[in-house]
Amino acid sequence: MNTKSTHFRFRINALTTAVIMFFAVALFGVITQASADTSNSRYDAIVKRDKLIAVTMTTIPPFAFKDEKGNLVGFDIDIYKLVARELLGDKEKIEFVGVGSAGRWPAILTGQADLGIGTIYMRRANNVAFTYPVMDTSINLLVTKKSGITSLADVNKPGITVANLENPQMKDRANRFFPKAKTIILDGSAAQLLAIKSGRAQAMQMDTAVNDYYAALNKGELISLGAMLGDMFGNGIYCQPGDFKWIRWLDTFVQELRFGSLYADYREIYNKWYGKNPPPQRHYLENN
Amino acid sequence: MTDWIGKYYLIEYIQACGWAAVLAVAATLGGVVWAGALFFFTTVFGRIGRVAVAAYVQIFRNTPVLLPIYLVYFGFPMIGIVWPAAVCGCFAITLQQGAYVSEIFRGSYKSIDRNLYDAAQSIGLSGWQIFSKITVPQVIVYSLPSLGSQVVLILKDTSLLSAITVAELMMQAKRTQEATGAIYWPFLMAAAMYLFLTLFIDYFFARAQKAVRWR
Repeated sequence: MNTKSTHFRFRINALTTAVIMFFAVALFGVITQASADTSNSRYDAIVKRDKLIAVTMTTIPPFAFKDEKGNLVGFDIDIYKLVARELLGDKEKIEFVGVGSAGRWPAILTGQADLGIGTIYMRRANNVAFTYPVMDTSINLLVTKKSGITSLADVNKPGITVANLENPQMKDRANRFFPKAKTIILDGSAAQLLAIKSGRAQAMQMDTAVNDYYAALNKGELISLGAMLGDMFGNGIYCQPGDFKWIRWLDTFVQELRFGSLYADYREIYNKWYGKNPPPQRHYLENN
Repeated sequence: MTDWIGKYYLIEYIQACGWAAVLAVAATLGGVVWAGALFFFTTVFGRIGRVAVAAYVQIFRNTPVLLPIYLVYFGFPMIGIVWPAAVCGCFAITLQQGAYVSEIFRGSYKSIDRNLYDAAQSIGLSGWQIFSKITVPQVIVYSLPSLGSQVVLILKDTSLLSAITVAELMMQAKRTQEATGAIYWPFLMAAAMYLFLTLFIDYFFARAQKAVRWR
């Protein structure tokens, strides 16, 4: 009787679980279908809502981070505000969805956010639509001074540990540039920084701008290695794929930002966060 | 078939599932042993023991488990202790779950019939004999239903270890999501595997309860 009762209880639990799983899958299917419906452009939805929703990480200075007053600031944040100003007439008509590194893509694909800014990779372009680059970027290594690392060759050794994010691009770069080093995977640049400062790792892979910022904050302790891991990349605005009106608007925005009527705003923002002028508006103009 | 396995990262998921199970078992054993030590402390050292353990329980019950996980993983190397991430994670969960499980043991201890102790003393059993032959067996039996739920919680706590580089199921789901761009199925796969593991735990404890209660 007792064994029967145990088996009966187990069968009931299994049945309940199967029913819950069925409904969960069905619900996700409905959500996916709803989010894939692009008959109405996001552009119209934002104008109607009168508010822009941007997805961003919140711990990657100088792109997006909290200042001492708790406000979200940074280069990306100023670009988002400029989008809001140009689209809705007010740079404050914006809401930010803060996520970790891996949370950016679901936030866009499920429609929780209208746009984000991130490094353009072809693998990512299979899932989200990117604009032209908002800025040039590169990846390098931030190392601790006490590790004695001064070049890429010093990193490619068995005793060295490098902190990466979850993305496959970092894994590819690790295999290419320092296959002999050990890698550990963390979920944000703040955790990576903690890893090298605590001695868990001796180096971390991140955007050069972020590493430069951290090195400036920790002078004498951390060094942003000059050598790039690979070539230059572009950081672009991304949104849901298949929405021609919205991606065209964003592309026009980026084009005007870098080469046209918004260049003055771009120069101001670029100067504010990087302390230098952006690439010239037109390479063939001398006084530019 | 091989393509299908590769496309859905099945091998990696199964490995991650194995890791989650191993971590849960290690943290459970650690938690139960540590809780047993705390329980022993409260019963043997009287008022001082009770106050010290109560303070410990309050601290660990009222802080999120991610905190000890971070403190052990990132903090210990600063004092020269560098353990592997999985060991750090298990140790942190053990510290926290020890607090919860010791409370389960305390509740079970309270529900033991006091007449048994009078009877034990009347036939001349020593303090240690009473503890090992009367208290411990009954505490274990009375604790089993709550322990089952606690082990499920421990398994779910292991998902936080992805924050400190442990390649368990949540880490696998996040990596798969980054690699494929898929939104739901990487996490649904992880959910299905967690459900499989929790059902196994449920079944194991249901059997264990029947085995001891009707003996």
